[in-house]
Amino acid sequence: MAGAVESELVSEDTSETEAVAAAAVGVAAILFALSLAALFELVTITDTLAGVPMVALLGALLLLLGLGVVGFGVGSRLGYVATNPRPSAGLVAAVAFSGIWFVVGGLVASQTFGLGTIGWGGVAFVTGGLAFAVTALPREDIGSTLPAGLLAVFAGAVFVTGLIGPGWVWDLGWEQSASFNAEFTIPVITAFCSLLVAWGAAKSYGGFGARGRHVGAYLLVYLNALSIIAVLFLLVAFTVFKGLPGLFNGLSFGLGTGPETTLFGFTFAWPLSWPFVMNGVALLNDVNGVLPAIAGTIWLVIGAVLFAVPLGVGAAVFITEYAEHGRFTQVVEIATNGLWSTPSIVFGLFGLAFLVPRLGNGKSLLAGMLTLGFMLLPLVVITSREAMLAVPDEYRDASAALGVTKWQTIRSIVLPAALPGIVTGIILGVGRIAGETAPILLTMSGSVAPPGSQTVDVIGGFQFISSPPFVENPELLQATSALPYQLYSLITAGVGQSSNIANIEQFRWATALILLVVVLGFYAVGIATRYYFRRKLQHE
Amino acid sequence: MTETTQSTDTEQAAESAQTSDIEMQRSGQPLEVTAGETREKTRDEWTDYEFEGDAKFAVEDLDVYYGDDHALKGVSMDIPENSVTALIGPSGCGKSTFLRCLNRMNDRIKAASVDGTVELDGQGIYQDGINLVELRKRVGMVFQSPNPFPKSIRDNISYGPRKHGDLETGFLANLLGRSDDEEVEELVEQSLTQAALWDEVKDRLDDNALGLSGGQQQRLCIARALATEPDVLLMDEPASALDPIATSKIEDLVHDLSEQYTVVIVTHNMQQAARISDQTAVFLTGGELVEYGDTEQVFEDPQSQRVEDYISGKFG
Ligand SMILES: Nc1ncnc2c1ncn2[C@@H]1O[C@H](COP(=O)(O)OP(=O)(O)O)[C@@H](O)[C@H]1O
Ligand SMILES: [Mg+2]
Repeated sequence: MAGAVESELVSEDTSETEAVAAAAVGVAAILFALSLAALFELVTITDTLAGVPMVALLGALLLLLGLGVVGFGVGSRLGYVATNPRPSAGLVAAVAFSGIWFVVGGLVASQTFGLGTIGWGGVAFVTGGLAFAVTALPREDIGSTLPAGLLAVFAGAVFVTGLIGPGWVWDLGWEQSASFNAEFTIPVITAFCSLLVAWGAAKSYGGFGARGRHVGAYLLVYLNALSIIAVLFLLVAFTVFKGLPGLFNGLSFGLGTGPETTLFGFTFAWPLSWPFVMNGVALLNDVNGVLPAIAGTIWLVIGAVLFAVPLGVGAAVFITEYAEHGRFTQVVEIATNGLWSTPSIVFGLFGLAFLVPRLGNGKSLLAGMLTLGFMLLPLVVITSREAMLAVPDEYRDASAALGVTKWQTIRSIVLPAALPGIVTGIILGVGRIAGETAPILLTMSGSVAPPGSQTVDVIGGFQFISSPPFVENPELLQATSALPYQLYSLITAGVGQSSNIANIEQFRWATALILLVVVLGFYAVGIATRYYFRRKLQHE
Repeated sequence: MTETTQSTDTEQAAESAQTSDIEMQRSGQPLEVTAGETREKTRDEWTDYEFEGDAKFAVEDLDVYYGDDHALKGVSMDIPENSVTALIGPSGCGKSTFLRCLNRMNDRIKAASVDGTVELDGQGIYQDGINLVELRKRVGMVFQSPNPFPKSIRDNISYGPRKHGDLETGFLANLLGRSDDEEVEELVEQSLTQAALWDEVKDRLDDNALGLSGGQQQRLCIARALATEPDVLLMDEPASALDPIATSKIEDLVHDLSEQYTVVIVTHNMQQAARISDQTAVFLTGGELVEYGDTEQVFEDPQSQRVEDYISGKFG
C-alpha cells in the first residue's frame, strides 16, 4: 500500500513523555472540575490564597498547561517525541478552532480595544482564518495542540496580569443593564480552556493518529458524562440540603407520640411524631406540615395510573395486534403523539370546562385524577405500542402453530414480554404528571395550606348506600391540595405568610424536598416492578 | 383447480414438438431456470409415488400466490402415515410455503392466497368451518430458528395444553383443588424425554428457556410441539442454525419420532434428507414439485435430468 504508515507494534521509550501528557490531562481535568465547582458557588475564586489571588493561580496553571501542550506538539513535530500523527488534524477540528478564535479575536478587538464593527470584524476574520490554517494545514501534532494550547496561554496570561480580575465586570450596555461578572466569566473561561487543553493533551498522550483521536474523544465523552452526573447530583443535593431542616423540624420518637390512624377500622398510634409529614397547617400546631398535599399527590398519581394504564394498554393492543396497518393506525399514532406534546395547561382547561361541571360541579380529586389520566394516556399508548412491536413475531408464530388463539397469545406471550417496556412508559409518565401544577390548579386545588383534617382518605371514604349506584365516595369529590400546587402558591402568592408558618423559606424547601421524595419513590417502585418482570423474561 | 387436471395429456404433449406457451406452462415446462439448470418438461408420473398404508395428507393441485408471485404451481402429492418425508430443493423454490399449507400457517401471511385441496385423514382442511385450533393441535410445527418463549422450560412445555384447557394450573385452580400439577409434571417429563432433552434439563425445569444452547432450544421446541399430542410434525430446516453435533441429535430424534408420528421435514442438506427420510420430494425453481418418490430411488436413480443435476450439485 502506497503511503501507508508503518507504526511499531510495541512502542518503546515513550513512557516518560506519556507520563507528562497524562499529568497534563489530569491537571486539566482537575481545573475543569474546579471551575465547574466555582460556577455553582461551591468554591470562591475571588479570594486570595497565601497572599496570591486565586485568579492569578488559575491563570498560572492555565498558562503552564497551554505551554506544556504546545511544547509537546512542537517537540513531536521536531521529532523529539515518538508519535504517529496524521498529515492534518482534520476539517472538524479546523472549523471548531476557527470558530473559537473568531469569537476570541472579535471580543478582544471590540471590547478591549473598542474597535468599530468593521474593525473587530476584520480582526475576528484574521484570527479565525489563522486558527483554521494553523489547524488544517500543518501536521496533526501541530494542528491539534497549537490552537488549543495558545488559547490557554492567552487566557492564563489575561488572568495572571489581572486584566480580568475579581472585580471585573463586562457591562453589555443593553437597556436591561445586563452584565457578566467575574464570578461567572472566570470559571466559564477556565472550564472551556481546560477542556480544550485536556483534549489536546489526551491526543498527545495517545501519540496522535487513530489512537490519539480515540483517546481524545474518549476523554471528551467521559468528561461530558461526568459533568451531567455532577449537575444532577448537585441539583438533588442542593434541594436535600436546603429542605432537611424544615423536613425534620420537631421530629420525635417514642411509643404513642404520633397521631392516631384508622385503617380498615383498626386504630393504632404511630411510634414517632414527624410533624412536617403528619400535620396540616393550623393555628394551634407547633410545627406545620403538608400531609394533605402528600396524600393528595399520592392519590392523584394512583388514580391517574389506574385510569390511564388499562385504557392505554388496551388501545395499544388493539392498534398493534388487531387493527390493519394502514391509514387508521397512522392517524391514531399521529393523534397520540400530538396529545403527548399538548401543553398541560390545555388539559387543565379541558378538565375545568368538561370534567368539573360533570363531577359534582366543583373542583375535586376525581377531576384532577381524570385530567392527569388523560395526560398520561398518550404516553402509555405510545410506549406500550413500541414495546409490543418489539416482541418478536417468532413468538406469535410459535404460539399460533400450537393452536393457541390470538387473544390467549396476546395475554400469555405478548403482554408479558412487553411489560418491562410498558412499565418504563408509566414511570416516565408518572414523573411528568406528579409534578404538574397547572391542571391541578384548574381542576382540583382547594385551600392553599389545608389543615390536617382535610387530608383525603380515599379508602375510608367508600360508603354503601341504598340507592344506585350503591357505592359512593365523597372524598373523591372533595377539593384538595397537591405538593406542586402547594409549592407554587407558597412561592408566588406568598401564601402562608399570614398563617402561622414560622419559617416560610424553610417550609418551601421542605415541601420541594418532599415532592422530590414522593416522585422518586414512585420512580423506585416502577424500577423495581420493571426489574421483577425483566428477571422473569431473562435467563440471568 | 379444474384447469390443471390434464394428467395423461402430458406425455403426448411432450412428444409433439410444437406446444403453445399455454400448454408449456400447463405441462410444467420451467419458465424460470437458475444458472446451470437445463430446460426440461416435468412429467406427472415422476411425482407418482405408490406406498402401502394410508395417506396422512392428500394434496391436490395446490397453488399458492404471494400477491402476483406464483410461489407454488399445481403441487399434488400424498404423504404416508408414520414416516419421514423430506422436502428438498434450492432456496426460494417454495418448500416452506408448501409446509405452511399443511397447517394453514399461510393464513397468517396477508399476501398469501391458497388454491387447491389439502386433506388430513380424508378431511379437507381448506373447507369452510374448519377448526384451526384442532388442526394445529394435530399438526405441530417446528421452525427454522429455535423460538422458545421467554418462560421457564416447564411453562414452555405445558403452554399448549394449558391454553387449550386440557390442563388447569394457576392460583384459582390451586384454590379450587383442581390443579393438574402432577399431570403437568408427567407431561413435561414425557415430552422432554421424547425430544431427548430430559436428562440435560431435568434439574433446571424452572430456568428460563432462553438460557439453553441453540440445539437444546430446538429440541425444547420439538418437545413443546409434542406436548399437544399431534399426529403430524412439520419441521422447517430445524437444524440449519445448529452445529454438527446438535444436528445429528435432531436427526436421530426425527428418526425415532417417525414410529409414532408423521414427520414432514424441509432441508436443503441432501445428505441429511438421504439419511433420515423414507420418501423425498424435490421442488425446483419456479415452485413446482418435480420428483417425488422413495428416497433411495430419488437419490440413486432420479427420473428427471434436472433433479439429477441438482442432486449431483450442478446448480442450486
Ligand atoms: N411472506 C412472503 N411474502 C411474499 N413472498 C413470499 C413470502 N414467503 C415466501 N415468499 C416467496 O415465495 C417463494 C418461495 O419461498 P419459500 O417457500 O420460503 O422457499 P424455500 O423455503 O424453498 O426457500 C419465494 O420466491 C419467496 O420470495
Ligand atoms: Mg424456507
